[in-house]
Amino acid sequence: MTRRLLSGFARSVAIFVPVFLVATFVTFALRALSGLSPAHLQLGESATPEAVAQIEHQWGLDRPFLTQYLDWFGDLLAGRLGTSWYNGADISRLLVEGAVVSLSVAGLALVLGVVFGFGFGVLAAVRRTTWVDRAITGFMTFISVMPSFVVGIVLVVVFAVGLGWFPSAGYVPAERGLGVWLAHLVLPAIALSFDTVSDVARQLRAGLVAAYRENYVTGAVVRGLGPRRIFLRHVLRNGMGPALTVLGMKFPNLLGGAVVTESIFGMAGFGKFAADSAQRGDVPAVQGVLVVSVVLVVVFNLLVNVILVRVTPASARGV
Amino acid sequence: MLRRVLSLASGRIAAGILTFIVLLAVLGPLLAPHDPLEGGVDVLAAPSGSHWLGTDYLGRDVLSRLLDGSRVSVLGSVQVALVALVAGVIPGILSVYLGTVFEWFTLRLADTLIALPFLVFAVAVTALLGNGIPQAMLTVGILISPLFYRVSRAATLSVARSPYVEAAIISGASIGWVVRRHVWVKVLPPIAVALANTAGVGFVVVSSLTFLGIGVQPPAPTWGGVLAADLGYLSFRPWAPLVPTALIMATVWACNLLADAIRDVSGEAGRALLNSRAVRRRHVHS
Repeated sequence: MTRRLLSGFARSVAIFVPVFLVATFVTFALRALSGLSPAHLQLGESATPEAVAQIEHQWGLDRPFLTQYLDWFGDLLAGRLGTSWYNGADISRLLVEGAVVSLSVAGLALVLGVVFGFGFGVLAAVRRTTWVDRAITGFMTFISVMPSFVVGIVLVVVFAVGLGWFPSAGYVPAERGLGVWLAHLVLPAIALSFDTVSDVARQLRAGLVAAYRENYVTGAVVRGLGPRRIFLRHVLRNGMGPALTVLGMKFPNLLGGAVVTESIFGMAGFGKFAADSAQRGDVPAVQGVLVVSVVLVVVFNLLVNVILVRVTPASARGV
Repeated sequence: MLRRVLSLASGRIAAGILTFIVLLAVLGPLLAPHDPLEGGVDVLAAPSGSHWLGTDYLGRDVLSRLLDGSRVSVLGSVQVALVALVAGVIPGILSVYLGTVFEWFTLRLADTLIALPFLVFAVAVTALLGNGIPQAMLTVGILISPLFYRVSRAATLSVARSPYVEAAIISGASIGWVVRRHVWVKVLPPIAVALANTAGVGFVVVSSLTFLGIGVQPPAPTWGGVLAADLGYLSFRPWAPLVPTALIMATVWACNLLADAIRDVSGEAGRALLNSRAVRRRHVHS
């Protein structure tokens, strides 16, 4: 078992190391592509060429591209993200504040996505071809075409403005009370989770229905096993692979979608930090956000792959 | 293929909605009853005879803003899909022929683009590159392109190494004839499905970006921008998001429906389905 786990882990690492390298290189190349410079941020558009050159020298931007890249990458591996062009603040510190907010929302959305995605998917598969199945499938199609900002606005209109059950905006740290914290997170997390719920549910239904058609399930029925045992031991384990893979691929969307939900619900998270920094032209801050989000996505995908290897027999065999 | 898509009810519904939306994009700015940028004293007004959808917080006519903004919103998503098509299909097909180095490199690039937190990158890159419509379309298109890369690569792989293509080449058929006769028919349907899907995805992304105010300069109206303007005044006009929301959802739904309809009529299962229908119809008529 451990050997299987290790080989699965090694295979995932082999996939994600190039991903990480390419993503960081693209991120770094953004400065050259955008042609932005800290001089314009500090001196304005009317700066003399000498002053610009001096500031660029201070930031080490007059060195060859590859030297800068290797320097930056070395700092990155040591966990240093540099300082902001905008106010000279330490980017890692700014990011941690935003990341807590975003990960709270994305994490709760992920929990909702797993619970409701698996709930609806399993229910539709167990009651396949009945009205329950058709109702769930229809509902999933309906919510899959609702962009998260549309869901967010509808939720605000109904539950914050209309009924007044939840606050319409803001974020409160968990230290100020778990209830308040959750109340501020519920609406954005629901808005963010719709896409995940519908995709996971549809994949899971398809996977489970296909698994029910397999000969080993017929065999299990013939052997007289109960429906619960058949479902848990044969159908679920073999049919949930695609749904788990989809779940792994959804995490980047949850993290990215936070840009929109944070804007609707007025939360100072990761996405807002990225959007604000980008609009100011604060390139190192944007690079910091992008790199950290790539790292989070890669780590999450490694976790999902490990779970996949443990849970589903097919991927344990390396299929 | 178009005729077969239209023979399905879902295909007809999708085509109907999309035609309406495209007409809106083409004719919308001409139909607008008021200047979409001109404010008035009558702010946050309810719908009335002169302002069918009311006015926003600056007294601007909401209907005119929606009609005028339809061009950017709709054509933007078409542009995104086309950029993604070109940036994905060409390396996708070439990756089968140009050797392992190119193949390895493009595969890693596609993996990377898929793994990126999409919207954060779209927002950051667009804003850094100058925050204009072309930048937004280019960025989003390239971020979506791996879908086309994978689809076209898989389709090309399945054809290029199939026995009947080898047989055709051995019996002296030219490459051009093989591509027209065998490769094209296999590659086209999955690309058409992907194109309909990306148009939907691109539409959501473009709406999201314009909602955030990325990719357009402030006074210019877009569907996402109209929604964003409504957001601050929900306690005065709680019904305001209804129309832009319905427009956005209908467009996305129609794109998905069209993708499903194309998938249904291409492929073996779809052909069998249609043949059985045609047979049944012929039977009834005779």
